[in-house]
Amino acid sequence: MNLDELKKLKEKAQRQVALREGHKKYRVVFSMGTSGIAAGARDVMTTMLDEIDKRGLDDVEVAITGEIGLVDVEPIIRIEEAGGEQVTYAKVNAADARKIVTEHLEKGKVVEGLAVGKAKK
Amino acid sequence: MHEELSLHILDLGMNSLAAGATSISIRVSEDRARDRFALLVRDNGRGMGRAAFVRALSGRGSTKTGRRRAVGLGLAFLRQAAEACEGRFRAASLPGHGTVVAARMRLSHVDRPPLGDLAATVRALALAAPGARLRVACRAAEETFAFDSQTDLNLPSPA
Repeated sequence: MNLDELKKLKEKAQRQVALREGHKKYRVVFSMGTSGIAAGARDVMTTMLDEIDKRGLDDVEVAITGEIGLVDVEPIIRIEEAGGEQVTYAKVNAADARKIVTEHLEKGKVVEGLAVGKAKK
Repeated sequence: MHEELSLHILDLGMNSLAAGATSISIRVSEDRARDRFALLVRDNGRGMGRAAFVRALSGRGSTKTGRRRAVGLGLAFLRQAAEACEGRFRAASLPGHGTVVAARMRLSHVDRPPLGDLAATVRALALAAPGARLRVACRAAEETFAFDSQTDLNLPSPA
């Protein structure tokens, strides 16, 4: 590893920290690999975006990632909170997506029945 | 299997982004007169060498290595869909330059999946890679649709 690579690594780390400590309270990450897509992730995302929009939640940002290795429980949504807490929701359908918006993103309550993992940073 | 052709396009686009593409061009056309549906996705990602390319097309494993598991079925899905509809599947990749994937089907074939929600696919790709240039050209009987993220980007909130 040379100096340039180290610099790049540092910049990348800074960017990621900036994202985590950004202005938004929640970051919603959709898994959009082959398995997610086949399980309906795109339409779940559309439903969720529409719901977020409808409720005027502006403390939320959205990101999309690829395959995350949990193919049998897709569609998967991970919600990262500004403090570093993460909640993963699995096998999310359109109704679940709306519930996650109204409960988790709007009221700050984890939807326990749908959450599969809750890990500290 | 993906139920819509626009889901195949999303899958291909996500491949392109995973390959570090900064430019993705998507073309879709429905030609009633020749009874043909065609789609093409071209990117400037890192491309694949021969071994990775063969593996990607085989449906027997992802080109991804390391801790994260991946599926490696995306291209095989599209090939299967094309071949099931009297069509054909073509792909080419050049390491360091990019990849192009094209599929053709008989438009009226009973097994041909519908195009589906292409706009939702474009929205997902635009969100997945805010920095990449995304161009879409769709020519169909009912609609023509053109999108260029450099000029048309109007992301739905929250973006």
